[in-house]
Amino acid sequence: MARYLLKRIVTYLVMIFLVTTAGYFLAVKTMNPALLEQERIPRPTDEQIQQNFASLGLDPQMSAWDRYVQWLSNIVLHWDWGRSPNGAYINSEFGQRIWVSTRLFLAAVILSLIIGVILGVISAARQYKVSDRLITGYSYLVYIIPAPIGYFLVQLGAVAINQMAGERIFYVTGISSPGVAPGWPTVVDMAAHYLVPTFCITIMSWGGYQIAQRQYLLDNVNADFVRTARAKGLTRNQAISRHALRVSFIPVAQSIAFTIPSIFAGGFFAEAIFAWPGIGLWSLEAIGKQDVNAATATLAYGAVLFAVGAIIADIATTIVDPRVRIQ
Amino acid sequence: MTVAPDAEHNAAPPRESSPETPLGLSDEQLAQPDFKIINKSAIITRRFFRNKTAVVGLVIFILMGLFGLFGGFISRWDTNTIDPLWMATGPSAEHWFGTTSAGTDLYAQAVEGVRTSMAIGLIVGGLTVLISAMYGCAMAYFGGKIDAVMLFILETMIMVPNILIVAIVINGNAGKQIREALPGWLILTIVLLIFNWMYDARVIRSMSMSLIQRDYVKAARYMGVGSMKIVWRHLIPNIGSLLVLNFTRGITAAILSEVAFTFIGIGVKYPNYSLGSLIAQASSQINTLPWMFWIPMILFFLLVAPLSMMNDGLRDAFDPTSLSVGKAKKKNKKGRAKK
Repeated sequence: MARYLLKRIVTYLVMIFLVTTAGYFLAVKTMNPALLEQERIPRPTDEQIQQNFASLGLDPQMSAWDRYVQWLSNIVLHWDWGRSPNGAYINSEFGQRIWVSTRLFLAAVILSLIIGVILGVISAARQYKVSDRLITGYSYLVYIIPAPIGYFLVQLGAVAINQMAGERIFYVTGISSPGVAPGWPTVVDMAAHYLVPTFCITIMSWGGYQIAQRQYLLDNVNADFVRTARAKGLTRNQAISRHALRVSFIPVAQSIAFTIPSIFAGGFFAEAIFAWPGIGLWSLEAIGKQDVNAATATLAYGAVLFAVGAIIADIATTIVDPRVRIQ
Repeated sequence: MTVAPDAEHNAAPPRESSPETPLGLSDEQLAQPDFKIINKSAIITRRFFRNKTAVVGLVIFILMGLFGLFGGFISRWDTNTIDPLWMATGPSAEHWFGTTSAGTDLYAQAVEGVRTSMAIGLIVGGLTVLISAMYGCAMAYFGGKIDAVMLFILETMIMVPNILIVAIVINGNAGKQIREALPGWLILTIVLLIFNWMYDARVIRSMSMSLIQRDYVKAARYMGVGSMKIVWRHLIPNIGSLLVLNFTRGITAAILSEVAFTFIGIGVKYPNYSLGSLIAQASSQINTLPWMFWIPMILFFLLVAPLSMMNDGLRDAFDPTSLSVGKAKKKNKKGRAKK
């Protein structure tokens, strides 16, 4: 098991390296912060711009390969991901925001997985009843709503509720209110700000899990081993929960990794809509400002998230499926 | 051999509903079958048109296509002409879908938006199916080292968050020459095309791998049938329903991605219009100019909903093991749900 995991981790590291490298070259080739610099008032001379960027390690006159070598050696030797055109360090900018985003993703991923699987089981056990049609119909509806528009509509709804109530119940933008006393009030305030974005991402992403879980469970409900369990005297619900559920969860567990990218993108949309200072909002702004290093760092972050999801999926599969013997 | 199962399937009445069995017939009657052999495309069309929901979906989708292509000819306004007399007005006889706050005609913009979104969807959906089918089948067919290398490339590409690639390419300053040569929607199409085929290819690979192990493929191989013919005769028909589903789902996914990316500002940009850009430009004025938001939203649903309505019908029509033949409908419903 440990050896297998190690092998997977090494493979994923190679992949992350390739993705990041390709992304760096794409960013260097298409982005040119010096052009934006010329719009500043007073307009700096070309020499000033050149000198400024050279000191930041963003020398536009160096070849892409030389810049890549410089950038890579800084990461490998000092864990320094470079600087933005405005002089900020990527490491510290990233460090502040990464926790904001990760907490948001983590809560949403776990919640949508749990809710999706539970609803999938419920709808499969009550196939074609009203509850099944409602739950599955909702999942298909969510499937054709673009994520940011869903978030936007929920935000409008929350604002409407606030207006009707005459006081602020839901916080629809930002991550915290200014001037809240430290300690317990801060925690409450933070939770209040988390509520709406987490709610949005969750209700928009459990549909996929629900449909998959329902389908796989229905495949297994009539299998021989479930019939045997019924014949031994178990009730239908017992047979489903003890025998069919475990088998049908395997493909769902394997799909966890592949839903990470969509939740990652969902996080981007949520941060853009709810004005959250997380990785998504920051990197979109940074890319608008032609920030090569920030774009590459986010790309690496997305790839790492995917790899973590894939490894978790591998582990989850071995836990639920005793037939998988990993060498 | 290849025609027989289909013909028998379609013409022979389903088990319970028919009292007659071929056993009661004389040799002569058996030699001259009393059923007509229907060719495959006719069977597929017939099966598809049996599903009413799917037909309604198809009709709506075609109407939307006609709206996008020819809707512009019946209106006097174009997308960017400002009408100073009708600023920020609701739908009226002069401006059918109302006007924006700047006084441009929303109907003309909606026509262009539907056309753009549909073009992105059809191009990405269609080519994605082709690429993923070829890549997936190649992986399954060659196997071994080639499969391992191709799988590595595929997984590496899945890792890339394509939202960032879109942002980089659309916002990149030095990419200006590209953007002048190509309109924004085409750049978006290309990026979506490069980063969307991997999921389908994975599924097709695992399906074709199990198909290649089947006895009839082995038999065909031992009989000396060429590999292209095996792929065409045995693999494609068996994964055909999956490919068609991937096509409609791919269209939906591409239209959704376009709207989502454009909504947060990294997709189609002025002076081009798409449904995403129309919805995005209206989102700040949803309370004052509601028609600007809801009309593109309704058009968007009219574009996406028919595709999911067609899914079921298409799957039944293309699936060679499909049970949807004629009257045995009740039974089929259960059989279908199990899949």
